[in-house]
Amino acid sequence: MLQKKICMLGGFAVGKTSLVRRFVQSIFSENYLTTVGVKIDKKSVAFPDKTVDLILWDLAGEDDIGSFRVSYVRGATGLVLVVDGTRPATLAVALTLRERCEAEFGAMPFILLFNKSDLADRWAIPEGEIDELKQRGWQVYLTSALSGEHVDDAFHQLASMVAK
Amino acid sequence: MVEIARNVDPDNHALYEGVPAADHRLERLRQLLVGGEISELSRVTHLLDEPEQLASAVGNVLPEATARASHAQLGEALAPAVERAAQRSIQKNPNTLTDILYPVFLPAIRKSIGEKIDQTFQSLNESLRHIFTWHGLKWRFEAWRTGTSFSAVVLKHSLIYRVEHVFLISRASGLLIAHVTSQDATSEDPQLISSMLSAIQDFVKDSFKEKENSGLDTIRFGELRLWSEVGQFATLVAVIRGNPPEELHEVIRDVLLRIHQESSRALERFDGDSSQLPGVETQLQTCVELQHMDSKEGFPWLVVTAVLLALIVAGGWFFLSWQSAHRWQSYLSRLAAQPGIVVSDQKTSGGEFYVAGLRDPLAADPQSLLPGTEVDSARVHSNWHFYQSLEPEFVLKRLSASLAPPDSIRLSVVDGRIVAEGEATTTWINRARAAAQHLSAGGPVFDISGVRDVSAEDRWQAYVSRLEAQPGIIVADQNVRDGQFYITGLRDPLAADPQSLLSGTQVDPARVHASWQFYQSLEPRFVLNRLAASLAPPDSVRLSVVNDRIVAAGEATTAWINRARAAAQQLSAGGPVFDISGVRDVSPEERWQAYVSRLETQPGIIVAQQNVRDGQFYVTGLRDPLAVDPQSLLSGTQVDPARVHASWQFYQSLEPGFVLKRLTALLYPLGKVRLSIVNGRIIAEGEAPDTWIDRARAAARQLSEGGPEFDISKVRDVSPDARAAEHWQYYVSRLEAQPGIIVAQQTERGGDFYISGLRDPLAADPQALLSGTQVDPARVHSQWQFYQSLDPKFVVKRLTASLSPPKSVQLSIIQGRIVVVGEAPAGWISRAQAAADQLSADGVVLDVSQLRELNLAELDHLREAIQTTDIFFSSGRVVPGPEQTPVLDRLADQLKEFAESARNAGVTARFMLTGHSDTTGRETANASISAARAETVRALLNKRGVAPELLLVRGAGTFEPAVPENENSRTGNSTNRRVSVTVNLE
Repeated sequence: MLQKKICMLGGFAVGKTSLVRRFVQSIFSENYLTTVGVKIDKKSVAFPDKTVDLILWDLAGEDDIGSFRVSYVRGATGLVLVVDGTRPATLAVALTLRERCEAEFGAMPFILLFNKSDLADRWAIPEGEIDELKQRGWQVYLTSALSGEHVDDAFHQLASMVAK
Repeated sequence: MVEIARNVDPDNHALYEGVPAADHRLERLRQLLVGGEISELSRVTHLLDEPEQLASAVGNVLPEATARASHAQLGEALAPAVERAAQRSIQKNPNTLTDILYPVFLPAIRKSIGEKIDQTFQSLNESLRHIFTWHGLKWRFEAWRTGTSFSAVVLKHSLIYRVEHVFLISRASGLLIAHVTSQDATSEDPQLISSMLSAIQDFVKDSFKEKENSGLDTIRFGELRLWSEVGQFATLVAVIRGNPPEELHEVIRDVLLRIHQESSRALERFDGDSSQLPGVETQLQTCVELQHMDSKEGFPWLVVTAVLLALIVAGGWFFLSWQSAHRWQSYLSRLAAQPGIVVSDQKTSGGEFYVAGLRDPLAADPQSLLPGTEVDSARVHSNWHFYQSLEPEFVLKRLSASLAPPDSIRLSVVDGRIVAEGEATTTWINRARAAAQHLSAGGPVFDISGVRDVSAEDRWQAYVSRLEAQPGIIVADQNVRDGQFYITGLRDPLAADPQSLLSGTQVDPARVHASWQFYQSLEPRFVLNRLAASLAPPDSVRLSVVNDRIVAAGEATTAWINRARAAAQQLSAGGPVFDISGVRDVSPEERWQAYVSRLETQPGIIVAQQNVRDGQFYVTGLRDPLAVDPQSLLSGTQVDPARVHASWQFYQSLEPGFVLKRLTALLYPLGKVRLSIVNGRIIAEGEAPDTWIDRARAAARQLSEGGPEFDISKVRDVSPDARAAEHWQYYVSRLEAQPGIIVAQQTERGGDFYISGLRDPLAADPQALLSGTQVDPARVHSQWQFYQSLDPKFVVKRLTASLSPPKSVQLSIIQGRIVVVGEAPAGWISRAQAAADQLSADGVVLDVSQLRELNLAELDHLREAIQTTDIFFSSGRVVPGPEQTPVLDRLADQLKEFAESARNAGVTARFMLTGHSDTTGRETANASISAARAETVRALLNKRGVAPELLLVRGAGTFEPAVPENENSRTGNSTNRRVSVTVNLE
């Protein structure tokens, strides 16, 4: 049994919860997000030689970075940063959250998801900016909670990164 | 070189003994070759040799060296020293170490004490709970037997629990290290649960700022408890169902400690791969095996309870069924006691009650007997057949219903017999007898012997006897045939009506056939009635029955007495005696005189002559038609009218009463007018239309001389049109009386009034004259043409307005001429003269010959005084100095006097105040300063009572100097800084 703690970070209403709702195994209701501030889900990723259980800590999205409970990130081996593709401000939020985590617990592997890729007409992140992020060697995915596009790929990628 | 060789090998030392030791060149060479090394060497040597230097050098590298040293070896090496050091420190001052360890120990101690207290309370609670129970006693025995404390035994038996899950969770990441579950216990995904548990631990810690290293101790949810023990690297969470003893904490803690001891490194490095920690699950398994289940085998409480319950139910059932049976029996006996109810069969089956039998319809309803017996009516099934009971009470009831006995019959039960008593008709008695016969077979005896037959015949006889007792009714024959009653006989017409006597006898009038012959009864009362009818006695005669005799008493004429006597003779045969001896004969003459004197007292009747000749009475005289009819006065006087010969001449009485009557008749209807006589005068008061008033006025005129006065002035004319017309006429006459108004035409048409004419603008406004006339202004249509009245009064008015004569002039009208008298200025006189010339063309004389020209010499003097007065100013000032105050005062007085005089003379005086300045300064400034000076003086004069409208102001600047300016004077000429006054008359 190989398990890894993964934290999902992102601003308010970027779609973290909807992103995982259809693709993960969950026993807790979404009320936990508002009461405890965190909801635990599990995503099993199968490799030829092993299976990695990603224990996903879905942290309540906050645009107010100050209220972010950084203690929840302790012991995490990877991050999922989620950005709302129709709101450029959420990219800054996700990156700030990642910086805070790294400052506290050191560098760790992460994937960057630009969510709501189905809303093409309201898409607000320029292609160039995404390319630039990819240039840094970051794992960037355009995902859609609606269609499920790239979601599995992204988790697969993250699992391979944390299980090395 | 030698030195080097010597140093390299000491043996060479001797070899080169001869070589000077202190060859300075060698020394120099050495310095050159190894000087640096030598000094470095000597520094190190010095370092090693000097303890202080060495300590500080080693101190610099010691932390680093310790860190790099092998942990095991270092621990081995340091352990004795550290132990000794700790020992030494405690010996020296125990507080130091205590202070250091205090934060570590305190939570542990606190927790331990808490658990101990919980344990104590738990044991106390359980002991108390079981102290007086059956197993309490049993446990006391066990405690005595085994030698342990009672509370321990209680706890042992009462705490029932089972550890269902054990989670070992990494403290760093919250990831599940191992999970063990007991048999048949289920839970959700343990990985998610463990992460969530640690998330909740973090949440609580963050939320309440709890810094303690322990974490959540206990979570309780109903039967389920989560106990967590926090270790250095991992947390152990046990999920316990039931009521665990506090000692279980220690057990769990021991397991956690053991795991930490065995796999401390693996726990510390745990990165999510649980395969690195084999054997942990075996440890955890020991926890899961912990449970305590009290054996339930003992006293068979359940069985006993069940049996008891069964007994209670059975007892209850028996009692209830016995009770209901008892109640049923009491109900049945009650039924049996009821007359008219016969219970033939009854049974109880399955809690239901069945009863069958006979009941009389008149008996009590069996259902209605149920309440009070507490028998459930829903469970009673009755089957009743109706029958007729022969018990006397029921027979009586039925007889009452079928025979409908009259009120005069009373039925009762006497010794089992039914007895009828009272009165009844034959038919009823016959029916009762039939019923009695019907009953005879087996039923009670119905005894009707006590009923008296009261049939119609009896009542008929009662009626007949009543008739016979009536005076004036003689029953000749009567009989009853086929239920019809026949009667014949005589009756006096004055006797009571036999028909009317029927009522109340209960004899059917339709069955009565009567045949009555009228006859004259000779009973005194009837005879009296007949005499009263036939003789028509005068009021003065009274008839009465005295001892069967008819007695007449009083006064009557001879004729009447004769008639009465004849009647008395007629009666004699068999009739009562008619005694007229009590009637006094009154002679006709006497009665005539009485009549005449009565006539004479009548108002409106004047008896001129009267006499009696040959039994005939003659009377002549005057009578007013409104007076009482003399003929009518005859009645009651017993004077034979046939013998009276009256000759009356009509006349009109002038007595106010008659006049009033005549007027009342004449002026009928009077409506709201009331006529009355006041001091011999007839006065009419109230309201009446104009037509009535006209008639009344005519009547008043017609009242002949010598008659009473008829005053109608107090009658108000209420005909609205008449009044309106009256008001209108009043208004017109008022207009006509107005000077300057000429009414040309006026009419009244359809309730509206039209008036046209001429009016002088100075005349009174016709509209204003309407007020107070009660004429409705809305109905007045006026058309006035303006004209100039040549009426002298209007001419005067116009002249007064146009010429505005001075007060010293008076206009008056003398014999149609307008005369102007007084003094006036010449100008005014010439204007008056012009007006007089104009008026003369219209034929109006305006006489101005008596006007005298006003003498203005006095004014001229005053004007001179005013015009020579000047107000002087200082250079550049617009307010005069104080020395000018008396001048101003005097000037004001003069101006007021002049204005007053001029006004009296019919002219208006105006004073021009002209301001001046000297030539110094700019011309514009001088112009404004001069005007300002004039304004100031105007204000000062105004303040002293001179009317401001009389004062005019102008600024002359330097243009009107009083004296020529001196070119050389620097301040200018003070005489030129002044305000001068000129007088104008208008």
